Amino acid sequence: MNLHRVDAGPRLRSITCLLAAAAVMALLVSPSAAFASGSLEGTVALPPGHSAPVPNQRYEIVSKAGVLAPNPPVAVIYLEGDFPASPPPATRQIAQKNLQFSPSLLAIEVGTRVEFPNLDATYHNIFSFSPTKRFDLGRYRSDEKPVPAVVFDKAGLVTLRCDIHEHMRALILVVPTPFFVLTGTDGRYRLDGIPPGRYVAKAWIDSRSTRSLPVEIHDGVATRADFP
Amino acid sequence: MTRPIASPATLIPNVPGQRVRGFRTRILVAMMLLVFGVTVFAVVTADRKLVATMQRDLERTFATELAAVQNAEAIRHAALVERCRALVRRPRIHAALEDNAIDLLYLSAEDELRDLRASDDESAAAPGTLRARFYRFLDRTGQVIRPVGNETAGTLSRKLEAELALPGLSEAQQVGLVPTPDFASGVTEIISTPIISTETGEPIAALVLGFRPLAIVPEGQMRTGLWVDGRLHMLAPAEPLDAAVTAELRDHLGKVDNGSFEVPVHGIPHLLFFHRSNPHSAYAPAYEVSLFSVAPFAARRSQLRFQIVSVGSLLLIGAFLVSRVVSARLSAPVEQLAAESERSARFSADASHQLKTPVTVLRAGLEELLARENLTTDECDAIAALIHQTFRLSSLIDDLLLLSRMDSGRLQLKLASVDLAHLIAGALDDLSAIPEETTLEILTDVPPTLAIRGEPRYTAIILQNLLENARKYNRPNGRIRVAARRSGELVLLTIGNTGAPIAPQAQPRIFERFHRGAMGENIPGYGLGLNLARELARLHEGDLRLVTSAGDWTEFEVRLRAAKPADS
Repeated sequence: MNLHRVDAGPRLRSITCLLAAAAVMALLVSPSAAFASGSLEGTVALPPGHSAPVPNQRYEIVSKAGVLAPNPPVAVIYLEGDFPASPPPATRQIAQKNLQFSPSLLAIEVGTRVEFPNLDATYHNIFSFSPTKRFDLGRYRSDEKPVPAVVFDKAGLVTLRCDIHEHMRALILVVPTPFFVLTGTDGRYRLDGIPPGRYVAKAWIDSRSTRSLPVEIHDGVATRADFP
Repeated sequence: MTRPIASPATLIPNVPGQRVRGFRTRILVAMMLLVFGVTVFAVVTADRKLVATMQRDLERTFATELAAVQNAEAIRHAALVERCRALVRRPRIHAALEDNAIDLLYLSAEDELRDLRASDDESAAAPGTLRARFYRFLDRTGQVIRPVGNETAGTLSRKLEAELALPGLSEAQQVGLVPTPDFASGVTEIISTPIISTETGEPIAALVLGFRPLAIVPEGQMRTGLWVDGRLHMLAPAEPLDAAVTAELRDHLGKVDNGSFEVPVHGIPHLLFFHRSNPHSAYAPAYEVSLFSVAPFAARRSQLRFQIVSVGSLLLIGAFLVSRVVSARLSAPVEQLAAESERSARFSADASHQLKTPVTVLRAGLEELLARENLTTDECDAIAALIHQTFRLSSLIDDLLLLSRMDSGRLQLKLASVDLAHLIAGALDDLSAIPEETTLEILTDVPPTLAIRGEPRYTAIILQNLLENARKYNRPNGRIRVAARRSGELVLLTIGNTGAPIAPQAQPRIFERFHRGAMGENIPGYGLGLNLARELARLHEGDLRLVTSAGDWTEFEVRLRAAKPADS
């Protein structure tokens, strides 16, 4: 029996260091990072909430006088303009948990694939009749593989419903830009990494209200845009 | 003293027998009338009660049958309504309407309503099932959203589709009935359920479902139908009714929502109930109609009425017979009494008449004897005394005859105005004509113009009897006082005389017949005078009473009616 013990420790450490350094360099020289970028920040004057704020920040979609809005109120800020080509957006998820959609408001870029995992012990049947995206995932349980998913290839608002649980409602705001962010419940937002240039900043507040402001982003500067 | 007396034949007419027979007839008639009245009342009451009870039972039977049918309808309706409510909550239908996807509306509904929608084969939509014949959606304005390329919603004519429309949407369900000649029974029940937006809380559309009406065939005599669009559609059995029934029903339906009336159907009397099946609905009024045959009731009522009348008639006949017996029994004592009275009166009259003849013969013989010349003074006195006795006997017979006439009620007075002063003067003249051993002082205090209402013959008897008593019971050299005065409607005539008073214990009995008190035997009389005088005074609507009899003075008072001007 050969009981040689090879000490490879110092060598492995040096390889790790080298790889880390290469990764840092790669990040520094990547095309996006190569451009100068600025930020957009500000506040959105949000409408009063429908009821007491939900502690876990899970937004509930409420309808009042035909207007679908998240509760507590939050807004989606996105920039419209010409942006350099960006990598395909990452897959997002809206889960069905405790007979609710979670999150109940999701902003995504056009082309985003959204998965709808069922985390309840019961069937769900997600569908949308919205003109932006019509689909019907049919009934499925939590063990459904692969997780049913939809690619949203058109900008606009999509109302999600469950055919089995009539109270379940969620909104997906499909925006034609990679630059978007949800405000806090206080209305504050900050959007980083924006290439300098002139854009139109839009604030989606509910299914009927979207406000817009022209903004100009400068390199290394945090531009302020408040939506009154 | 002789008094003219009517003959017995005229005294006793055949009146009492008639009156007694009349009494029996009156009792019988009264009893029969009473029995008849009671029987008729009992028969009418029994009949009314019976009819009311039968009517109540009948109505209860009808109400029970009607309630059973209505309960079944209510249960089915509740199930339909609940089914419709569940349908309009379906997320796909809401999504189609709220998410601007009308093109998916009927497509989504097809899935949702698959279990409810029957095939066009009517056998699948048998009565009582919850299968729909067709469905349509209404838009916000109540107009029908037409299904495009969708067969499951059911094929309907434009006209029928137009009838499903509503003038506007409300939050309440609307129920209606529409004529559908293409379907069995020709009528379809429609339920329009509003679809309330989960976003606005307002009705954004409505789902109209058409169902085959429930047609329960009850076990009893009931027939059911529906009144839709001015026509009656009979469901069970499905044979049409007379036009007259429809016309009468149309008249009633215009006025009230619920009601009932009697109507002949094919010549058989029926009771028709109707009530609006869709009160407060925006759809045209529709009515449920139920018909019950009352023929068995009418037959039974006639039968029972005949029985009641038969029993009543038998009772009446029985009661008539009983009343005849009872009236005979009741009138028997009266008849007996009347017969006895009649016999007694006839006997008195006959006896008096029979007695008077020998007395007259006797008197004539005595007078003839007295007329002989060879009689001694003593013999003459004896014969004269005997003749006097015959006069007394005649007077007694007359009194008895008069009393018997009064007792039998045959004395009829012809009342007229009588001059009292003249009457008293005459009586006093008669009195003075009687030979007296002693002298009597006669005082009168009579107004010359006083007139009474009476018959002269009998008022004279009253006066004569009283004056005769005043003379008989007077003392030697005594006094008689006759006074008269008017007091209101009456004339008070007092006749007083001196002499020994009537003993106080005898006073209450002096008016009794044959009572003579403690008078000596030497005073002539039979105790009839006062009784006769009082009876006659009473026949004159007056009276006679003893005013006083004490010391040396006895006084009687006669009350008589004063003459009225008409009497003269």
